[in-house]
Amino acid sequence: MNRPAWWRLEANEPFRLGPRMLPGRVWTASGCFGYGLQAHEFTTANGASPYAGLGAVVTKTVTPLPREGNPMPRLVETACGALNSIGLENVGFAAFLETVLPELEARGVPTIVSLAATTPEDFGPMARRLHERAAGFAHWHGVELNLSCPNVAEGGHDFGSSPATVARCVAAARAELPDRALLAKLTPNTADIAQLAASAREAGVDAVSAINTVVGLDVDLRTGQPYLPRRFGGYSGAAILPIALAKVDQIARGAGVPVVGVGGIATVEDALKFFALGAVAVQVGTAQMRDPFAAARIAAALGQWSSS
Amino acid sequence: MNGRPAPLACVGEVIANGLVSSAFHRLDIALDRVFTFQPGQFVMINEPGPLAWTFSRPFSVLAADDRIVSILYRVVGRGTQAMAGLAPGRPVSVLGPLGEPFPAPVDGQTTVLLGGGVGLPPVYAWWQRWGLDGDVACFGARDGGEVPWGLLGGPWRISVDSPGCVPAGRQATTGVVTSLVDRDDALRGGERTVLLACGPQPLLRAAADLARRRGWRCLVSLEEHMGCGYGVCKGCVVRVADGDTVRNATCCHDGPVFDAARLPDLAAEAGGADAGGAKA
Ligand SMILES: Cc1cc2nc3c(=O)[nH]c(=O)nc-3n(C[C@H](O)[C@H](O)[C@H](O)COP(=O)(O)OP(=O)(O)OC[C@H]3O[C@@H](n4cnc5c(N)ncnc54)[C@H](O)[C@@H]3O)c2cc1C
Ligand SMILES: Cc1cc2nc3c(=O)[nH]c(=O)nc-3n(C[C@H](O)[C@H](O)[C@H](O)COP(=O)(O)O)c2cc1C
Ligand code: FES
Repeated sequence: MNRPAWWRLEANEPFRLGPRMLPGRVWTASGCFGYGLQAHEFTTANGASPYAGLGAVVTKTVTPLPREGNPMPRLVETACGALNSIGLENVGFAAFLETVLPELEARGVPTIVSLAATTPEDFGPMARRLHERAAGFAHWHGVELNLSCPNVAEGGHDFGSSPATVARCVAAARAELPDRALLAKLTPNTADIAQLAASAREAGVDAVSAINTVVGLDVDLRTGQPYLPRRFGGYSGAAILPIALAKVDQIARGAGVPVVGVGGIATVEDALKFFALGAVAVQVGTAQMRDPFAAARIAAALGQWSSS
Repeated sequence: MNGRPAPLACVGEVIANGLVSSAFHRLDIALDRVFTFQPGQFVMINEPGPLAWTFSRPFSVLAADDRIVSILYRVVGRGTQAMAGLAPGRPVSVLGPLGEPFPAPVDGQTTVLLGGGVGLPPVYAWWQRWGLDGDVACFGARDGGEVPWGLLGGPWRISVDSPGCVPAGRQATTGVVTSLVDRDDALRGGERTVLLACGPQPLLRAAADLARRRGWRCLVSLEEHMGCGYGVCKGCVVRVADGDTVRNATCCHDGPVFDAARLPDLAAEAGGADAGGAKA
C-alpha cells in the first residue's frame, strides 16, 4: 500500500492525549496480548521486538479481586472472526499493581492499564492506588475503563450501556488520575454509542476506545446447543471491522471526543480506515493473537510514511 | 520454563505434504532459519497474509532437521482440510516452538512412551531424541491402516482397535495401548520409571491410572482449543492442582505437558478398565 494523499499523522511520534504524551498511535487491544510481558520471548530468535514502535499495550483487564473466568471452551472460531467467553480471568488488581506493572515499567513497555469493576465507585480507589504506586513510572501512560465486557454478567445489568453509569465510572476514576490519560472503552451493543461517548466526555475522559466485542452466539450442530457454556460470546476479528468503523464514525462526528479505533484490524489498510475517520490511535486485538508482531508491523509501516 | 528454545515467528515453505498412513498426513516446512525444539513442544500453523484463519492451529512437532520442521496431522475440520491441500512451494506461517516440553531423561530412568492417534508426535520425537534399549515405545491406532509403519521401526509396540491391514512382517496387538505395557512384567516395580503419554482423553486416563498402580511418575501432553498459543488470551485453560488449591493454567504456555498427578480431570476414579483406546 502506498501512502494515501490524505495521510497527515506521525504514527510513531509522541502525541498528546489529555494530560499525557503517548509514544505512538498503534496499540494492542486489551485481552489479546496478555499483560504485555509474554511476547518478549519472541525477540531473541526473530531479531525484532513485538513491542517495537507500539504506542501502548493495553493490558488484560484487571478487576478489584482475582477472577478465574468462565468454563471452557472459551473460544469458537467462526467465519472471518471468533467468539470469546474468557470471562475476565485475571490476577486481580493488587497482584497486577505489585508485580505486573513494575515489570512492564522495568521492560519499558508503554502501558495503558485496563480496569473493570462491578460498581462505578470501585474505579476511584483503583485509580488512586495506581497513582500512588506508579506516579513516577515513565512508561505507564493511562487507564482504559472497560465498561463493556459482554462476558461478565455480575450484578445482572450491563452498566456500560447506560450513559449515566458511564459518567459515574469516568468521574470516579478522573478524580484520582490527574496526570495520566483516561479512556473509556465502549460497547457496540447499544443503540446510541455517540451518546455514551458524549457522557464519557462530559465526565472527563481524554478519549474513548471503540469498540469492544459484539454479542454473538454459535451453535454446535452435533448437540444443537450453543458452543459456549455461557451461550453468548464476544465477536471479534475481521468480521467486525465495518461495525467498528461505523461506531467510530458516529462518535467522531457526534460526540466531540477523541476516539481510539478497535475492531477487526489486521493490516495497515484496516488501521488507515480508522485514521481516515478521525481516530487518534488504533488498537489491534484478535490479529495479535495469531501474530505477536501484527501491531508492530502496522506501526512500522505507518511510521515509514510519517518520516518520509 | 527456562531453557526452552526461543520461538520463531516466520513464514516457511511447504516442501512435502502427504499421507503417511490411511489417516495421517505429514507436512514438512522449510524455514529461513534453523529450527530447534524439545520433544512435546508444538507450533502454531496458519496461512500467511489475507487468507489467514482467525486462529492459528496447534500441532506438536514430529521432527526437525536443521531448517525443516515436520508435523503429523489428521484432517478433522476446516483448517486441517486446507492444510491437506497445501502443495509444495506454498507459504505457511509458523510460530514456535511453544510450550512446556516433556522432560529429558535422568540417569537410570526407564521411560515408557504411550502415543494414541495423532498424539504420536510428542512421544515419537522423544523416542528419536532420547530413546534407549530399556525404554518402551507404544502406539495405538484404530486399525492397521492408520499406523504410520514407515515411521515406527521394530522396537515400537503397536496396538489397534481392529486389525485392518497390518503389513507383512509387522505385528499389532488388538486392544488398548496401555495393554502393551500392562502385561509386561519386566516393567514391574520401577520407581525410576516415567510414563509419557499423549493422545485422546481415555488414553490419558488409562495412562495415569496405570502409572498410579505401578508407582510411576506420569506426564501427559494435553490438547485444548487454542487462540494464541503463546499465553496471552487465556482461551486454553486447564485445571491444575497447586498444593491444596486448584487453579487455572494455560495449556499452551504452562503446558501442554503436565504431571498427571496434578490434573484433577485424570483423578483416580475416572480411569476405567476399558479406557485407553486410540480414538483421536
Ligand atoms: C498442543 C496441541 C498439539 C496438537 N498436536 C496435534 C498433532 O500433532 N496432530 C494433529 O493432527 N492434531 C494436533 N492437535 C489438534 C489440532 O490442533 C486440531 O486437530 C486442529 O486445530 C483442528 O483444526 P481444524 O480447523 O481442522 O478443525 P475445526 O474443528 O474446524 O477447528 C475449529 C477450531 O477448533 C480448534 N480445535 C479443533 N479441534 C481441536 C483439538 N483437538 N485441540 C485443540 N483445538 C482444536 C481449532 O484450532 C480451531 O480453532 C494438537 C492440539 C494441541 C492443543
Ligand atoms: C480473547 C479476547 C479477550 C478479550 N479480553 C478483553 C478484556 O479483558 N478487556 C477488554 O476491554 N477487551 C477485551 N477484548 C476485546 C478486545 O480488546 C477488542 O476490543 C475486540 O476484540 C475487538 O477488536 P479485534 O477485532 O481487533 O479483536 C478481548 C477480545 C478477545 C478476542
Ligand atoms: S491459547 Fe491463548 S493463552 Fe493459551
